[in-house]
Amino acid sequence: MRPAGSEQQAFEIRRLSLELALGAGTCHIGSSLGIADVLAVLFFEVMPVDPDLPGAPLRDTFILSKAHAGSALLSALALRGTIDRAQLEREYCRDGGAFGGHAERGTPGVEISGGSLGHGLPIAVGRAIADRLDSRHRRTYCLMGDGETDEGSVWEAAAMAGRLGLDRLVAIVDANGHQGLDRKLADDHWERLASRFEATSWEVTEIDGHDHAALRHALRGGEGRPRCVLAHTVKGKGLPFMEGRFDSHYRSLRPHDRERALTALEQARVAA
Amino acid sequence: MRDAFAAALTEAAARDERLCLVLADLGVGVFDDFERLAPERIFNAGIAEQAMVGVAAGLAQAGRRAVAYSIAPFIASRAHDQVRVDVAAGAANVTLVGVGGGVAYGYLGLTHHAIEDLATMRAMPNMTVLAPCDPADARGATLAALSLDGPVYLRLGKNGEPPLLAPGTSFRIGRATRVRHGRDLTLASTGPILASAIGAAELLARDGIDAAVLHLGTVKPLDTDAIDEALADTGMILTVEEHSVIGGLGGAIAEHAAQTGAGRVVRAGFPDRFVHEVGGRDHILARHGLDAAGVAARALSALGVEPPRSSPVGAGGLR
Ligand SMILES: Cc1ncc(C[n+]2csc(CCOP(=O)(O)OP(=O)(O)O)c2C)c(N)n1
Ligand SMILES: [Mg+2]
Repeated sequence: MRPAGSEQQAFEIRRLSLELALGAGTCHIGSSLGIADVLAVLFFEVMPVDPDLPGAPLRDTFILSKAHAGSALLSALALRGTIDRAQLEREYCRDGGAFGGHAERGTPGVEISGGSLGHGLPIAVGRAIADRLDSRHRRTYCLMGDGETDEGSVWEAAAMAGRLGLDRLVAIVDANGHQGLDRKLADDHWERLASRFEATSWEVTEIDGHDHAALRHALRGGEGRPRCVLAHTVKGKGLPFMEGRFDSHYRSLRPHDRERALTALEQARVAA
Repeated sequence: MRDAFAAALTEAAARDERLCLVLADLGVGVFDDFERLAPERIFNAGIAEQAMVGVAAGLAQAGRRAVAYSIAPFIASRAHDQVRVDVAAGAANVTLVGVGGGVAYGYLGLTHHAIEDLATMRAMPNMTVLAPCDPADARGATLAALSLDGPVYLRLGKNGEPPLLAPGTSFRIGRATRVRHGRDLTLASTGPILASAIGAAELLARDGIDAAVLHLGTVKPLDTDAIDEALADTGMILTVEEHSVIGGLGGAIAEHAAQTGAGRVVRAGFPDRFVHEVGGRDHILARHGLDAAGVAARALSALGVEPPRSSPVGAGGLR
């Protein structure tokens, strides 16, 4: 049987991320819901060697640098069968469990021990250099938060990638306009962010991060230079009472929110 | 502890117009009172801890007093070079506040744990290292840090810690607090894990063992008088800390005792490996023998006492 399309997978990633948050009472749910589309397109269409083959191995490397959205990555891995879904639901953020709030290296499919922002891109640069040395034809994807690009290490690595012309490196910036403390963005905030990448010899593509066709196109992208995909997203996407809300970072859902949250998620899909 | 710190900070800022707060995109709702009092003295560096610490050092050089605040590892590890060169070597009036010291951020994993921070901070010349144990103690430590000349690392837990010290206990930098008298050994701890030391002393009392408890709210400079006295009185110190056994309170006390040759020091803490266990703080502490029962068991084994089968400690077995 052909695997379900990426839209369906994105919904499943959202639902499972939500189940995990509900089960464990954890926060950061908005950060996970917002990247479900990016992950669905990557894990089910762009990265598999053969997208038509269920569970086909991945050709490319994916690094989740904004690892506080680890529940979304773990959900995508469970949906692909890389990790056991029942175990994930049982043990996510539970005492003695196998999965913490930030995915850790050692879990199949998880490349870095995340949680300290600004680590992903330097590691991705190292992975891309190694692939080039070994003539491996695969891409390295690194997904960062827009707030995360405050970290100097992001720009140190970006400059190096630009200098080396790492044409198989793709940085995805989850541009949701939110981070830890609320702040007002300048009108030309995104242009300025794009031009910072361009200034270090990257190619920048700006897209709607919930539009699967646009994601597919941008993530497969052209070659010659490292590529930054500035993906505009809505934090909390898919759960109307969380969408675009600053507090979707901090609020944790409780078991009594379960009905309401799952129903809202379902209804939002039907409406879309 | 976090809210007690923030309240004390705001009080100090009302008295001292030079005081500035530099943030790194953390502390939602924590500094609302400070914000109301002096919005012009709060700066958010963004998710940029190295810049935050450097900026604090710059403010201090220009005659201000600056407080930098983040989750403990992002202060102690991420910004380590700025801490070392700009703050410590510069003897700057900067107070570095690390929230969630130890494994307070349990489920968030090793990137959010700080179990080497006391060691790295303590190794730095000029640095005063404070680890209060409860909200009132955090308040005292904050006020003491903000009136001290020179850099301070203030390690806090999170929020909602129970009071552990007697009401009215004052915080003095470099002074240990005796929490309980005893003859057979001394449990010496720092930070909120004092709760485990006190609980262990209570369990040990049921087995007829009389343990003293000492709280070291200052890890550096070490209260060597209190250590000497404890070793003279009880012959043995068991250190209890939410930190690696390397270089923290246990390391500091062992170094001192090795010099004087007085008594025996046994260290309870995290072994020399990263904490990969998933779990809340209580779970992680218990798994490492750092809950009350674990500490009591450790004390018995250090004393060479077989726990009686009826004892609550014996029931848990030696860890
Ligand atoms: C080095 C570091 N500093 C601070 C934090 C605390 N923190 C966790 S998530 C977050 C905000 C992240 O914002 P953004 O990168 O935009 O991701 P979003 O939540 O919007 O997806 C912060 C400050 C951290 N995890 N790592
Ligand atoms: Mg963001």
